[in-house]
Amino acid sequence: MKREVLLDVKGLNVTFGEHRKQYNAVKNVNFKIYKGETFGLVGESGSGKTTIGRAIMRIVKSSDGDILYKGEKINGTISQELDQRVMREIQMIFQDPLASLNERAKVDYIVSEGLLNLEHGIGERERKKQVEQALMDVGLLPEFASRFPHEFSGGQRQRIGIARALIMKPDFIVADEPISALDVSIRAQILNLLRDMQKKRQITYLFIAHDLSVMRFIADRIAVIRKGEIVEMAETEDLVAHAMHPYTRALLSAIPMPDPRREKEKKLFIYDPAIHDYSEDKPTWQEVRPGHFVLANQREAGEYKRMYEG
Amino acid sequence: MEREMILEVVDLDICFQLRGKVLHAIRDVSMELYQGEILAIVGESGSGKSVFTKSFMGLLDKNGYVAGGSIVYFGGEEEREVNLTAISRERDWRRIRGHEIAMIMQDPMTSLNPLKTIGSQIMEAVLLHQKVGRMEAIKRTLKHLEDVGIQEPEKRFEQYPHEFSGGMRQRVVIAIAIACNPKILVCDEPTTALDVTIQAQILDLLKELRHKYNLSVILITHDLGVVANMADRVAVMYAGDIVEIGTSEEIFYDPKHPYTWALLSSLPQAGQKGSDLFSIPGTPPSLYVDIKGDAFANRNPQALKIDFVKRPPYFQVSPTHKAKTWLLDKRAPKVTLPPIVEKIRKGGLF
Repeated sequence: MKREVLLDVKGLNVTFGEHRKQYNAVKNVNFKIYKGETFGLVGESGSGKTTIGRAIMRIVKSSDGDILYKGEKINGTISQELDQRVMREIQMIFQDPLASLNERAKVDYIVSEGLLNLEHGIGERERKKQVEQALMDVGLLPEFASRFPHEFSGGQRQRIGIARALIMKPDFIVADEPISALDVSIRAQILNLLRDMQKKRQITYLFIAHDLSVMRFIADRIAVIRKGEIVEMAETEDLVAHAMHPYTRALLSAIPMPDPRREKEKKLFIYDPAIHDYSEDKPTWQEVRPGHFVLANQREAGEYKRMYEG
Repeated sequence: MEREMILEVVDLDICFQLRGKVLHAIRDVSMELYQGEILAIVGESGSGKSVFTKSFMGLLDKNGYVAGGSIVYFGGEEEREVNLTAISRERDWRRIRGHEIAMIMQDPMTSLNPLKTIGSQIMEAVLLHQKVGRMEAIKRTLKHLEDVGIQEPEKRFEQYPHEFSGGMRQRVVIAIAIACNPKILVCDEPTTALDVTIQAQILDLLKELRHKYNLSVILITHDLGVVANMADRVAVMYAGDIVEIGTSEEIFYDPKHPYTWALLSSLPQAGQKGSDLFSIPGTPPSLYVDIKGDAFANRNPQALKIDFVKRPPYFQVSPTHKAKTWLLDKRAPKVTLPPIVEKIRKGGLF
């Protein structure tokens, strides 16, 4: 089965600062996202996961590498026509629903801002209709359009943020920690909503989060990122069952599980980068099992392979 | 096993005056805290868990007041009982705060002074609470830094908060709390702002310090995984009331209250990929109006008629486990447990 590649990231590098103060936030990152899937990017704070999302959104400039969307390069200088198309088709959902909504604007304006910018000449009646539809799609009432963001709870605000993305009828959504700021019970609602939208409209997600247990529920494939480098990438269940890179295993062991007996016996596994001996045998990006990639040198790749054999 | 009680809350009511209306934040809550245990309080935001513990230290906002009930602290000097609800003077509170009951907040950056060195901030607590001279205080500060797992304490002593990472800052905040020599440590979402790997380390540190300093710990969190990792006992809070309390094993393997079931079911670990995750319908009740019956009734699909009429009392499940739900009444119909409970019992989580 050949799947259609929607987004292809090749050798992406993002560097902040200039000259002596340069900092490489993203180092040679490669991944493909297939149409209709949810691709998860997991990492700790400062790992560069948000920077990758922002590079795809073209909020930060990439310093090297290509980002191909539907086969066309979208980073760097692009034609105005492609720019407009990408702006419409790729949308973003942010972590903090209060900070990402204009507190001085009414919901009506917030949700339709994209339409106003990209669909010149849209009639007032048509615009109102689309806003109402978008609000209903995310489980809000149409009359909320005349209210301000502060009048809503955290979960409702996040729904407004989602409505703002959906009104553009996007093909691809970058969701950056969309549920981290929410309560447990609200999280479930938002996750369900995102999944529901995906089913109805074949939206592809790049889901950025630090929480592997949430990722496991929502993502089809997961890439684990550490200090700007992807260290492991595989189908979700394969990654959980056959974690290879010691950093992935450390992340998995650190997730607290709601099972007291198991938690109390748990041995914490702490990742120490010094265990890699990369002095001669340099690490490369290798496919150790079908569809399961890991950053390792030749010796380690052999060890990882043997770990789950027999 | 008879353990010494260190804090006893009886029928506590806390209200807030807000724009001429009264908000009933804590409604008849009773709770005991024993020497050396870790008691976790879980609940959604707005359930009252922070307000509840703030009242132990006289830290309620100006418009908040204790409307009834008592909080008795048994750990005072010469084992004297202190009724915390009777304290009105700021001077008397200062004898309790830090010295008897200390608190760790969620965000370590806001609890530290950015203009003072780490060392001087910890030493301030040592000088105030341990009655020692300057030289001895420096020595003890270094020891506290070491105790909370900060390497090269001499060098770190002279540094400022911005030179520390989030996890390290939280360690400093813990060191300040420990330096006050408290008997009770209240941790309000101590790891919510931290990464999972750092979170695991801070939780391990708290467990270690509890034994070393013989602390009783109250842990406020909404993360049930953290609760399972840390707690000896768990109190589940909903709409200003503890609806279920029991040992950690009892709450996770044999929960009785529908709200506890709902909380467990909405965990992503409970979800089956490809099908919807359970989410609690509706919203928590308004605390401005008197709640009739069981506060969770209108969100509970299995609610009984009586749930809407009469507030359930505690039903004792075991000597350590009780829950406020009519489902435990002899006359109540049998209901099926949600699948997540069976899954946790069998250890079927990944």
